[in-house]
Amino acid sequence: MKNQNSFKNYPASQSWSGPKRQYDLIKELVIAIVVVAVLSIGLSALFSSPDERAVTMKSWATHNPIDLAQTAVGELAGTTTSAGYGAPYNQNGSGQSIAFISPQKWLGVRIPINSAQDLVIKPLATSNIPGATDLVSKWNSTSADQQIKWANDFAKAFDKDNALLSANNANVQNSDGKYGPVPAIVNDLLTMARSGALDGALTTSDSPLPTNFTKPLLFLADGGSYFSSIASKYHLQGSQWGVMNETGSWPGQSWLWLFSFWYQIPPFNSSPAGDLWVGLIMGVLTFALLLLPFIPILRRIPYWIPIHKLIWRNWYSDPDSKN
Amino acid sequence: MFLAVLNLNHPAHFLNWGPLSISIPNLVIILVMVFLFILALMIPFPNHSQENKEGEK
Repeated sequence: MKNQNSFKNYPASQSWSGPKRQYDLIKELVIAIVVVAVLSIGLSALFSSPDERAVTMKSWATHNPIDLAQTAVGELAGTTTSAGYGAPYNQNGSGQSIAFISPQKWLGVRIPINSAQDLVIKPLATSNIPGATDLVSKWNSTSADQQIKWANDFAKAFDKDNALLSANNANVQNSDGKYGPVPAIVNDLLTMARSGALDGALTTSDSPLPTNFTKPLLFLADGGSYFSSIASKYHLQGSQWGVMNETGSWPGQSWLWLFSFWYQIPPFNSSPAGDLWVGLIMGVLTFALLLLPFIPILRRIPYWIPIHKLIWRNWYSDPDSKN
Repeated sequence: MFLAVLNLNHPAHFLNWGPLSISIPNLVIILVMVFLFILALMIPFPNHSQENKEGEK
C-alpha cells in the first residue's frame, strides 16, 4: 500500500490539468511525406545528381600510365606511403602519436598489407599473361635486398628518363636486364590494369565479391599525380576543405566545416600527427557540448542570446506563464 | 546521366578568404538554411492562438 501511494504522488503519474488541443499526427505525417516527395522529385529533375565515373586502375593506366608505372616501382621498392605507413597496414612506420597517445600502435596491424606483394606481385600472379608467373617466381625467389636494389635502381633510372616507358605502347623497356624482372613486372601490371583485370584482382583478393576497395585505394593514394589531380580539380583535397565538398557543382557536407577547419590552419596543417590532433580537439569539443549545462559561463549563453524566447514567444508574452 | 534542367556536372566556383574557402553551392545551402530558420521563427503556427483558446474552454 505504501508503494502504491508513493507512485500516485509521483508527478509523472498525475493527469494533465492544463489546456489541451487536438493534434492530428497522421495528417502531419502525410503532409510531411508529400512535401518531401515533391521536393525530392522536383529537385532531382531540376538539378540531377553527381555522376562522376569511378576512378579505377584501368582509368589510371589509360590516362597516366607513367604515374601508375612509377607508383608500382615504388611499391616494389617499399618507398610509397602505404609501404611505410605503419598500423593498421604494417609495422614499417610508427604512426601518429601525441605524447603517450598512440592509437595506431594501440590498435596494431588490423589489415595486414605488404605493398609490394599485395598491390603488385600477388595480383600479377593471378594474371594469364604469358610469362607472368615466371616473373613472380623470379621475384619471390630473390633475396629482399636484391629485390629492393632492383626496384630502387629502376626507380632512379625511371625518374631520370620517362622514355623508359615508351609513349607509343606504354611499355617499359628492359635496359639489358640490369633491373631484374622489375621492368617486365611493371609492363605486365600495366597490361593488366589497361584490361581492367587489375581492378578485379585487387578487389577480390580477400573475398569472392568485389566489395573491398582498400587495396586499390591505397595504390591510387600512393600515386604521384593522377589521383591527386582529380581530387584537386573538385576541391576534394584535405587542404581544400575537401570533406565539405562534392564532385561537380552540387552542395557537399557543409556540416563538417569544423572538422575541416583545423586542417587548414597551423600547426595542424603541417603536423605529422594532424589527424590525431583534429580527432582529439573534436572529441574535447563534443564532450564540452555534452556537458554544456554544467559548464559555468557557457551555460549562460541562452540568457545572453535568448532565441528560445522568440520560439516560445506566446508563452513568454503571457504574464501568468512566467512563474 | 539524365539531362537535368540545370547542369551542375562541372567544377564549382569557390570563394576564398585567407584559409577560408567555400563553394558557391555550399554557401547557397547555408544561406537557405538560415533563411528557413528565420522563417520558422517569424511565421506563427496556423490557428495556433485559436486552438489554444479552444483548448482552454
